[in-house]
Amino acid sequence: MSDKSSENLRAQRLLLDALRHPDELPALSAADWDLLLRVARRTRLLGRLEVSLAIRDALAKIPERAADHLRASRNVIKHRQTLVAWEVNRLLWALADIDTPLILLKGTAYLLAGLSPASGRIFADVDLLVAEERLDEIEARLLARGWFRTQIDPYDDRYYRVWMHEIPPLRHRERGTEIDIHHRLLPKTSRLASSPESLFAAALPLSNRRLHILAPVDMVLHALVHLFLEGDPEEGLRLRDLLDVHELLRNFNDRPDFWSELIPRARELGFQRPLYYGLLHAQELFATPIPASLTAELAQLAPRWPIKVLMARLIRLALLPEHPDHPRRSAAIARWLLYARAHWLRMPPALLSKHLLRKLWLRCQGGRKRIDLAQLDLKQQ
Amino acid sequence: MIVADLTPDEFAERLTTIGLGIRFGPFKLRIHSNLPTFARVAYPLYAPYPLLSVDHLLDFHIQISSPPGLRRWLRRQACFALDGHFPFAPYTVEHAFPALEWGINWCIATRAHHLLLLHAAGVERDGRAILFPASPGDGKSTLCTALIHSGWRLLSDEFGLVLPEDGRLLPVPRVIPLKNESIDVIRRFRPEAVIGPSFLNTRKGTVAHVQPPIDSIRRAREPAWARWLVFPRWVADAPLSLQPITKSQAFLMVASNAFNYDVLDETSFRLINAMVRTCDCFTLVYSRLEEAISALDQLDRVDHV
Amino acid sequence: MVLLPAGKALIWQKLDEHFIVYQPSSAETHILNETSALILASIELGPRSIHSALEWAAMRLGVPTNDLDIEEFSAAMVRLDELGLVDCQDDVMVVSE
Repeated sequence: MSDKSSENLRAQRLLLDALRHPDELPALSAADWDLLLRVARRTRLLGRLEVSLAIRDALAKIPERAADHLRASRNVIKHRQTLVAWEVNRLLWALADIDTPLILLKGTAYLLAGLSPASGRIFADVDLLVAEERLDEIEARLLARGWFRTQIDPYDDRYYRVWMHEIPPLRHRERGTEIDIHHRLLPKTSRLASSPESLFAAALPLSNRRLHILAPVDMVLHALVHLFLEGDPEEGLRLRDLLDVHELLRNFNDRPDFWSELIPRARELGFQRPLYYGLLHAQELFATPIPASLTAELAQLAPRWPIKVLMARLIRLALLPEHPDHPRRSAAIARWLLYARAHWLRMPPALLSKHLLRKLWLRCQGGRKRIDLAQLDLKQQ
Repeated sequence: MIVADLTPDEFAERLTTIGLGIRFGPFKLRIHSNLPTFARVAYPLYAPYPLLSVDHLLDFHIQISSPPGLRRWLRRQACFALDGHFPFAPYTVEHAFPALEWGINWCIATRAHHLLLLHAAGVERDGRAILFPASPGDGKSTLCTALIHSGWRLLSDEFGLVLPEDGRLLPVPRVIPLKNESIDVIRRFRPEAVIGPSFLNTRKGTVAHVQPPIDSIRRAREPAWARWLVFPRWVADAPLSLQPITKSQAFLMVASNAFNYDVLDETSFRLINAMVRTCDCFTLVYSRLEEAISALDQLDRVDHV
Repeated sequence: MVLLPAGKALIWQKLDEHFIVYQPSSAETHILNETSALILASIELGPRSIHSALEWAAMRLGVPTNDLDIEEFSAAMVRLDELGLVDCQDDVMVVSE
């Protein structure tokens, strides 16, 4: 095995072992900690490591320098969680007499519902699902009470409104947190049909009854759809998002009817493939307990051979982190292929080619890389 | 061991192979570079700093190298990377050293959130420190450089690192970047100061780096306690003026200027509050370095406000 | 004036003539002028109407109630409401949780 491959394998093993067997962390060498921190940071799992060690009272047993990094990560996470919770508080204030269910999605839901994926997890934005017919009213109210539309060009604005499943992000003029208001889980243009009405019907209220979260089955399916269809080519598929799914499945494992409803609901919403891929890889990487009774039915959701084998390889390449010093071309290609596939699933060919061409044009213009380090305001970090 | 224990060739070789392990204050870094110009500039400036084995647990794995892929042949460029990510626009190869130094600032500002990161210069003497919180036109780097060549120890010219547990200041005595006229001002003020080459036409004008006195580097592990907060402002031909300012004003200026005040939530609030209460707070307007230094030398004789 | 926090209660510091308040729910730090600080302090003692807050403030300052500007109070209250420092329920104000 080449040096590069064995280094990558070492990086992956370190991370997966850290996630699965946190009790062994105090025994790691300094060199192992060095690599583990780098890989965990890349996959946004530093916070998870910190929580695993904190609940075992083991932070004092690891090298102090490692503990400093973990503590830094914890501070950032705690702060961001406060900001997200506060933004929801201000949303409720702003929408005081607008009587319509607000369904919290993704990290916002995990945080406000006290679900375990929130633990050690960093969130940037607030994600909401609202009824499409109330969208204009909600947006208008927020704009009147201090929020503004983030600056995007007319193409992107139209892209959002006409083709996508969310309005362009809003931000309050005094705070930094962005609000993403969705009216469906996937774009209208998407090949995976999904009508939001049944999601609303099944949604569950939180103790503040103006706020709702998706039903457990829907939450898991949404997390899977988000994982497979909303990545980016640099970062690939987010291992952390798969870990969220694993955590959600453990959370909901004991709920009656959860497992028996999962596959039928996936079929109903058109999310069978993400479910298949997600459970397969969660089981392989995190040993997620999945009832044996589902095995046969799950196998039916799989694509035909050879696509099944190809996808399994691509997903694994895109999910698992690389050693930061030894990037692999194969992983980069896998990430790009899956990114292209995600776009293909989200929009029809005519729109897709135009959209990808534009993104390519922006990249050639160096749209992404224009940040000038010398002039960068370090306080925005 | 320090960097000077390596020969220039060994130094350059490490940069291109296993990486150079080096320590700046509390931070341990591994630096890679395939640019010979970088190695030539960096060696004398980094010479007195602690040399590390790269098998340590390190804080930042950085590089300043020619760009990956085909662009390497098109123009001679230097790209900064942290953990294999290249977040910034490239520099010309001649500006590799200042680019790396700015990159290290970015690493600290984005990662070191186990500490409160004030935007301030700091110097220390007899166990007590002056912090100079930053503001536009403050001239703090020049003032700081002059002070550390006049009997004060360098804590930092950019980052006031505050330990949340007890408010201690951690030194990070790195080379100090001076801009434009300040370079000549310091050359005149202290002809024996160790100043690196001048880099022309950077985004910040002409930049040169001053190596701190060896004593500051040797004592990098010695923390300090803040005793004075001084807000400097250089104004051409201005008479010297050292005036007390209110603690609420000092709080506002220090907090709004810190790199990560928000991130540390209540801890920041309490730390800065404690700091402005225990420190005497002043503004300092000056045009002549000697006058400013003299005024600061006598701070402990100023009546408490 | 230093009030110790309990749960998500505000954390006060007085520096010179200014009140600096940390709001744990939002992680925001506010610098309050005397009017806003008085409103907030009065409400921390219990829910009250704007007129009641005005009277309380006047008493604290040792001036007749008429000396205080109801317009200024109302404007400050609107701002405190937007910042989530107070909660306006109908005509009664309470400190936000």
